[in-house]
Amino acid sequence: MPHLDLDERLVTFKIVYSGPGFSGKTTNLRFVHKTLAERYRGEMLELDTEEERTLFFDFFPVFLGNIDGFSLRFHLYTIPGQVYYEASRKIILQGADGVVFVADSTEHRLEENVESFIMMQQNLAEEHGDISDFPLVLQYNKRDVEPRLEIGCVERHLKMEPGIPVTESIATTGYGVMNTLNLVSKEIIRRFRV
Amino acid sequence: MTVRSFTHAAEVGGLLEGLVLETHSVTALLISREGICLSKAGLTESLNSTALAALVAGMFAATREVANIVGEEHFSILLQQGEKRNIHISLIGDRFMLVVVFEDNSRIGLVRMSTRRISSELQAILLRKPDESAEAAREALSMPAFREYAMNLVDQIFSVGAGGDSDAASGS
Repeated sequence: MPHLDLDERLVTFKIVYSGPGFSGKTTNLRFVHKTLAERYRGEMLELDTEEERTLFFDFFPVFLGNIDGFSLRFHLYTIPGQVYYEASRKIILQGADGVVFVADSTEHRLEENVESFIMMQQNLAEEHGDISDFPLVLQYNKRDVEPRLEIGCVERHLKMEPGIPVTESIATTGYGVMNTLNLVSKEIIRRFRV
Repeated sequence: MTVRSFTHAAEVGGLLEGLVLETHSVTALLISREGICLSKAGLTESLNSTALAALVAGMFAATREVANIVGEEHFSILLQQGEKRNIHISLIGDRFMLVVVFEDNSRIGLVRMSTRRISSELQAILLRKPDESAEAAREALSMPAFREYAMNLVDQIFSVGAGGDSDAASGS
C-alpha cells in the first residue's frame, strides 16, 4: 500500500524482487544501486548467509525527486528465494505496491520458477485478495545461459492470461535491469489513486 | 490501489519529544509495519532512520512468526541490549511500532513505563478520522498531473540507456 505523508510531503512505494533462489534478485538490486547517481539512492543493506543466499532481505531507498512539493520515493527489497524461508518471504511481501518476479532462464529450472511464482501469488492473494490487477513484471533473467528457457514458457505452464509485462535480462551485466525497474514503477504509478 | 496517508506529524512528534526528555533516551521513532519511519525525535542526524525502519519492521514481523510457532499471537515488546546502547521496540496497535534507543541500562523500567503510557495516546491519534486524512490527501495531490510527472521522473532516472540496456520489454 503506498504511503502518503501529508505533513512531511512524501509519497513512498514499495517494490519487491521475488523469484526462486539464485535467480539474480540481489544482482538486480546491486546493479540498480551501482547505476543510480548518489543523490538518488540511500545505503544498501544486504542480509545474507555465508553462501551468499539472501537470509532475510536486501534493501535500499531511491529518492526520485519532487513533484508539486511532494518527494517521491521507492523502497526496493529482495526476498529470500529458498523455499524454506517461507516466513521471511511473506513478511517482506507485506505492503508491496509492485513485484518483479525474477525467473531463472536456465532450462532445468522451469519447475522452480513455476513453484516460486505460485507461492508468490498465494502470498500476495492472502493480503490483497484479487491480484489480477496487481502491478507485476516477469523478468526472464540469465538470458546468456545455454540451454535456456523459451520466453513465455513460465506463463504457458501457469496457464496465465496474456498481458503480464515481460522483460529479458542479464543482471550480471546490467542488460534489462533498469528497463525492468522502469516498467514496474510505471505499472505502480498508473494504478496510484488517493 | 488504495493509499495510507499520515497527517499527524505534529501531535506524534510532540509525544516522541516528551518521551525522549522523560527517559533521557537518545532517540525515539515511530515506524509503520511496512518499514517506513513516520516520525522521530531526539538525536536523529547520525542515525540512518530509513534503514533502521526497514530492519526493525522486518525484525518485528519475524518475531511475530516466532510467537505464532510457540503459540502466542505476538510478542508486544522487543528489547536488544548492547555494550553502550539499547533498543526497546513496542507494538502500537497492529500497524505501528515505537522504537526507543537509550544508553543507560538502568532506565529500562522507565522506558518501558513511559512507552506504555504514550502507546494508547499514539494509537488514538493514528486511528483518528481516516476519512478526513483521505480527503486531505485528495486535496493535496492533483492526481493526473502527479502521475504524469512521476512517469517522467521514472523515465529520467530509471533510464533504459543505463548499463547497456536495450528495449527488452514486451507483452506476452
